This record gives sequence, structure tokens and C-alpha cells, in this order.
Amino acid sequence: MARRKVNGYAAIGFPTWAYVVFFFIVPLALVLWYSFGYKPDLFTAHANDILSFDRYAEALDATFVGTFWNTLRIGVIGTLLCLIIALPFAYWLAVKMNPKWRPLALALVLVPFWTNFLVRTLGWQIVLSPRGFLSDALQNLGIIHGRLDILYTQSAVQLGVVYNYLPLMILPLYVAIDRAGRPLREASADLGANRWKTLFTVTLPLAVPGIASGCLLVFIPLMGDYITASVLGGAQGNMIGQLVASQFNTAQNWALGSAMAVLLMVFTAAAVIVFGAAGLIIRSLVRRSRRVQLQGGAA
Amino acid sequence: MSNTSPTRPEADGSVSLVGITKTFGNATAVDHIDLEVRSGEFISLLGPSGCGKTTLLRMIAGFEQPDEGDILVGGASVVDLPPHRRPVNTVFQSYALFPHMTVAENVAYGLRQRRVPKDEIARRVQDSLALAQMVDFADRKPTTLSGGQQQRVALARALVNRPKVLLLDEPMSALDRKLREEMQIELKLLQRELGITFIFVTHDQAEALSMSDRVVVMEKGAVQQLGTTEEVYRDPANAFVAGFIGKQNFIDATVSSPDALTTADGSIPLHRLPQGVTSGSSVRAAVRAEVVQVSAQRPNGPALQGTLAGISFLGDSIQYVVLTASGLELIARVSPDRAEHLSTGDTVWCSWDASELRVFEAAA
Ligand SMILES: Nc1ncnc2c1ncn2[C@@H]1O[C@H](COP(=O)(O)OP(=O)(O)OP(=O)(O)O)[C@@H](O)[C@H]1O
Ligand SMILES: [Mg+2]
Repeated sequence: MARRKVNGYAAIGFPTWAYVVFFFIVPLALVLWYSFGYKPDLFTAHANDILSFDRYAEALDATFVGTFWNTLRIGVIGTLLCLIIALPFAYWLAVKMNPKWRPLALALVLVPFWTNFLVRTLGWQIVLSPRGFLSDALQNLGIIHGRLDILYTQSAVQLGVVYNYLPLMILPLYVAIDRAGRPLREASADLGANRWKTLFTVTLPLAVPGIASGCLLVFIPLMGDYITASVLGGAQGNMIGQLVASQFNTAQNWALGSAMAVLLMVFTAAAVIVFGAAGLIIRSLVRRSRRVQLQGGAA
Repeated sequence: MSNTSPTRPEADGSVSLVGITKTFGNATAVDHIDLEVRSGEFISLLGPSGCGKTTLLRMIAGFEQPDEGDILVGGASVVDLPPHRRPVNTVFQSYALFPHMTVAENVAYGLRQRRVPKDEIARRVQDSLALAQMVDFADRKPTTLSGGQQQRVALARALVNRPKVLLLDEPMSALDRKLREEMQIELKLLQRELGITFIFVTHDQAEALSMSDRVVVMEKGAVQQLGTTEEVYRDPANAFVAGFIGKQNFIDATVSSPDALTTADGSIPLHRLPQGVTSGSSVRAAVRAEVVQVSAQRPNGPALQGTLAGISFLGDSIQYVVLTASGLELIARVSPDRAEHLSTGDTVWCSWDASELRVFEAAA
């Protein structure tokens, strides 16, 4: 009886686990498997007849480590910038805006997603180019002297990733702030808290799950991004994703590329764990600060 | 910031509403309401669902801006103050407890905003939770509590601040009867002791009558009657109020002489006619179910004859439903020790003291 039931559930869940197995576990296992192999000769991408950790040693050279730190910096700053921009925007959307216009505003947030990632990044190349309209406008306004010199720098990459990943931050934040709801903000005001107090003691604490998922949604794909860096970064703005891609595409060394990809995943996960732990510590400090110690104790 | 400092019980907690009007789109939720609430008074807003009670409270608390009129608390206009600067606290109809805080943290929230010292916070939170009988739940999260428990936390969270004015929006609707009666007594005692002005919204007329000094009966955003509980009960201003307070029998009739009405079932005597009603006009008479006597024998005075259609035992009274020949349904509630032995189908007589009959102009 019980067993039949379990099988029944497994059958119902088939599309989900099939999706996970075929599109996540299998490719991941292949990458892991390839990373233990090697590149036998110039015309073969990989071989797995001799297994070793040698590709990892090979991958962890100065270029890789340097580029990783570079990527981590772009990732952390990019995620923080997205958060700083998205928070007030999502708050405005969820709290201030007339509910009538909200669906339209959300649709506008998503409009860039309807265009291809590469195309909209290329768009920034035009905007940022030294002879582009932004350059001319800034010069005419006297804000900069001489041509805009930002394309093919780290700053351009930074700008590009913030632009590309911002909607992924806005949406979960909007949902979280919206769910905290007006009645709770009113209760807070009723009890004597001004807007800022209410924001920091009620709205934001309740939005923490949304903030966390927004940060993950931005940070993780950003760490693996190579299109933005290739288009806007030129020689200066290298990101780790480009190294991995070049091993697969240019060097045709799948084993080394796989090892790099695995390292990227492990390091990114480690970074997430470190940030997550910091978040948990901050949360427990905040909780301790608002604890009320009753004198009689709970009798 | 001086207006957010802790308020003393002797502070003036009077509330004046002057010509308050609020419309949503083209629906008028509150329609030119004037109301003077005295400091330390327990006043109830009573009325059917959607009559504007919550909207009125929200305007006093500052969550809605009136379209017209002025609101004064303690003699000073508050319409330009944001909610957090107003000397009032609210017990919300939907509780609105903070889900990320424990019960004790919820209750402490208002005191924290006013920078009350830590040990005083602990003491007052403890007292307030004790009053709400929620001390044992101090460290629980609100989402793990039942509706009634959440409601008690909401009450404790507002009371702990000892505001000049407390606005309560159906604060006991989710409590069982026994707990509600206990809380009614506690709350009333506390209100007296602290001298806080209570503006209390309820659907429950018994609750309003038992707790309040005065009652405001509202309908469609307007005040139908403002009076002491006694006045509203004994001397309703119109048929709507009469119907809302207590169980009423309505009898449509015409005035045949200054001291009698003609109904489809015969003539009934009249104590007094309201002003402006003359002989020959159609009226609506009302008599409360509690004052109607039902007997098998024709009583000495005038009475209406009918058939006993139903008997039900209500606990503290017996309810009779009598159908007259014209199809009028009369309801009588008689205390069990004064009830005659009757059974359904009997021919009975309904009578009452003429002074208990209220006469209102028939609705146009
Ligand atoms: N924000 C709003 N937008 C539009 N209409 C509203 C709004 N708030 C209240 N109303 C309307 O105003 C009227 C009065 O509502 P209110 O909530 O004050 O009633 P109430 O007397 O508290 O009813 P209840 O006893 O059911 O709580 C209702 O017709 C309601 O639909
Ligand atoms: Mg209401």
C-alpha cells in the first residue's frame, strides 16, 4: 500500500525530477567528469582514460586567481548596486504607486528581458562609445571634458551587469515589500514610529527573504556571466566566465575548461556561504537587540 | 516631538469631530458627522456592516484624510498630523501584529518608539500581557496563535501605551463568549481606572449597551442617534435605531385618534404621538420583544389575537412567534418563570403596556 503511494507521488512529480536530472544533474556530472580528464592532442577536445587532479592545478594559475578576484569584486559591487537601486524603486512600486498602474510598471521593468541579452548589451556599446550621443551630451553640458572614456573598462562592465541583472533584483523585492502590507505599516505608525523607523523595523525585516533571493538571483548568474564582459570590457575588464568559455571555444581544452567551471562554482558557493553566514549573524544581533526580557518570566 | 511623549491619565482625551465627510470614488463612507466625545468617556459606534465605522476610526487615527471637516483631540486639531504624531492608539479589526516579532516584542513596540527605559518596558509589557491573559505566550510568534489570542495581543499592544484616546475596531469579535465577557469587564474597569477615552466599534449591541457610557448608532455614514445606553434602548430616535437595538416588532398602522392606532388586526392604544404626526397619517409602531406578554386568556386591556406558530428556548428566556390573522409576525420573549404553559397551534393574545409602544413616521 504505502509503497504504491510513494510510486504514485513519484509519477506525479515526473516532469519536475526529469527536468532536474536531464538539465541539471547530468550536465553537471559531465562537467565534473571531464574535469578529471586531459587534452590528448591538438585536434581532440578531451579524453578521460587517465584520471587526475592535474587540470585543477593547471587551472589555479595567477591569471585565474586574479581574474576570479576581479569577478568577485564586480559581482559583489554589482549586487550591492542592484540592491541600492532596486530597494527604493521596489518600495515605491509596492507602497507609493497607485495599484492601478502597478501591472504596467512591472511590465516596463520586464521590457528589456524581451530583447536578447547580447543585443541589449551591444546597445550599451553604442551608448558608451567615445563618439556616442551620451559622450556628446555630457560634453555639451560641461560635465566631462574630452570624449567619454569608459567603454572597454571595468566601469563599463560594472554598469553593464547592473543594467542586465537589475530586474532580477526588483521583482523579488517588490513581492516581499508588497507582502509586508499596508496594515502593518499603519500599525507601526499608529504605535509612534515614523516612516524611517517603520522602514527599518517592519518593512525591511519582513522583506529579508526577498532581499536574499534577489541577491542570489543577481550574484550567481553574474559570477558566471561572460557576455557583458566580452562586449563592454575589452582587454581590461576580464571576467572568469570568459576564461572558461575560451577554454571550451578557442583552446578546445574541455578538461581544463571543466576544471575551471567547477572551481568557479565552488568558489561562488563559498562566497554565498560566507555572505549568508554574515547575514545570519547580523540577523541574530538584530533579534537580540529587540528581545524583551520579562521580569516575572513566563509563569 | 513633544506630542509623542508619554501621556498622563489626567491629560485631556476629548475628541471632537466637526462635519467629517469622506467619500471613496462616488460612494460616501462618512457623511457630515459631528460628534463630541468627552475625556475619559466610553463611547461605542454601533451600526451595520459597511456603515462607515472603520473609516471614521481611520480618520481619527490619521490613515485617511477627511474630505471635509476637522478632528480635534484634546482641543487641538490633528488633521495635519501624521499618524505617528497623534496621541491615539488603535486596536485594528485585522489585528495587524508584526509576524517577525514575538508577542512580547509586539507589545513593546510602541514603548520602544518613545524610548521608555528597558526595565519599565519589561514591567509594562508584563502587566499588559497579564491583563490580556497572554503571559504564557510572550515568546511565541503571532502566526502560531489562534484568532482570539492574536486579538488579545493586539489589545495588549495598544493598551500598554496608555494613550489619551484608544480606538478599538471590534476588538473582541474573535473571542468566545466566556472570554469576551471576562474581557469586557476587565476592559471597562481598566478604562475607568486609567481614564482613557475609548471609541469602541462593535456589531454587538449587547456589548455596546453593557460597556458604554454613550452609544452612537450609525447607518450609511450618518449618525442616527447619539445617547446614553439607556436613552438609545428606551427611546430610540427612529425606526432604524429601534430595529438595531434589541429585538423589535414592527407594526404598520394609521393614527385613528391621538391615543389609538388602527392596524390590520384591530386597534391598539397609544401613550403619546411623536411631534409632527397627526391623525390619519401612516406610521410604523415598534414594541420590543421583551415587553410583549402572551396569554391564552384574553387580557383585560387591548390585545392582538393570533396563532402561536413557534416556541423556542433561548436559555434566559422563551421566545414565542405569533402569527395574526393579517399575517403579521409578533415575537415575544418571556422569562421562563413567567411563561404560561402553551403549545404551538394555540390561539393566544399578545399585549403590552401602552407606554412601551414607540411610534415613528412611516418611511416615505
Ligand atoms: N479604501 C477604500 N476604498 C473604497 N471604498 C472604501 C474604502 N474603505 C471603505 N470603503 C467603503 O466605505 C464604506 C464604509 O466602510 P467601513 O470599512 O468604514 O465599514 P464598517 O462600518 O467598518 O463595516 P464593518 O462593520 O463590516 O467593518 C463601505 O461601503 C466600504 O466599501
Ligand atoms: Mg469595520
